[in-house]
Amino acid sequence: MIAALVDFKLTLFRSPSMSAPEPSIVPSETPNTTAKTPGKSTFVSVFTSTFFTILFAEMGDKTQLTTLLMTAESQKPLMVFLGAGSALVTTSLLGVLLGRWLASRVSEAAIETAAGIALMVIAVLLIGDMLDMT
Amino acid sequence: MDWDLLSVSFVAVFLSELGDKSQIAAIALGGSSKSPQAVFFGTAGALLLASLVGVLLGQGVAQVLPTQLLKGIAAIGFATIGLRLLWPKEA
Repeated sequence: MIAALVDFKLTLFRSPSMSAPEPSIVPSETPNTTAKTPGKSTFVSVFTSTFFTILFAEMGDKTQLTTLLMTAESQKPLMVFLGAGSALVTTSLLGVLLGRWLASRVSEAAIETAAGIALMVIAVLLIGDMLDMT
Repeated sequence: MDWDLLSVSFVAVFLSELGDKSQIAAIALGGSSKSPQAVFFGTAGALLLASLVGVLLGQGVAQVLPTQLLKGIAAIGFATIGLRLLWPKEA
């Protein structure tokens, strides 16, 4: 997990100009590789948009309040963070795997429509949370 | 190692996150994205950081951070991704 994050950081800081000269050396191979696997830029943009939308959505949310209250009560922040953190990694993994499984069973158009509607509903829920705070 | 506290916090957070906004978002984004690994790392990383902030800042989160504004930005972000998925593609 940590190794993967470090590896990701390295890809984040690699500037596009560093990898740019490579295609000119082997021009025939580049279209194939880009078509097969999503490029580094896809990974970085998907990661960044996912990271910030989820982070902002979770600020002041009930999980954060749960960890906060448990820390205040136990005075053991490390234990609470380890417990909460492993639970959050598990639920994210289950979510993404469920999404992949659903995507493998229905058409691409159907999954995109369903995902679009789900995200719009989440946006509305977040606006509801905002209004509750006032 | 306080196993009781560890398991209590795991179960509490696991149950409260199951079927919550972020997990629905992970299902939606993971199913429709070209890079599900990026969705996983993005979601898990964001949730870890959010709970770390909760643990570190204690009760001051709402005072220290403009949580309402951040939620508004997140709502716009999700709505943008959602609209892009619903928008008919040009052939």
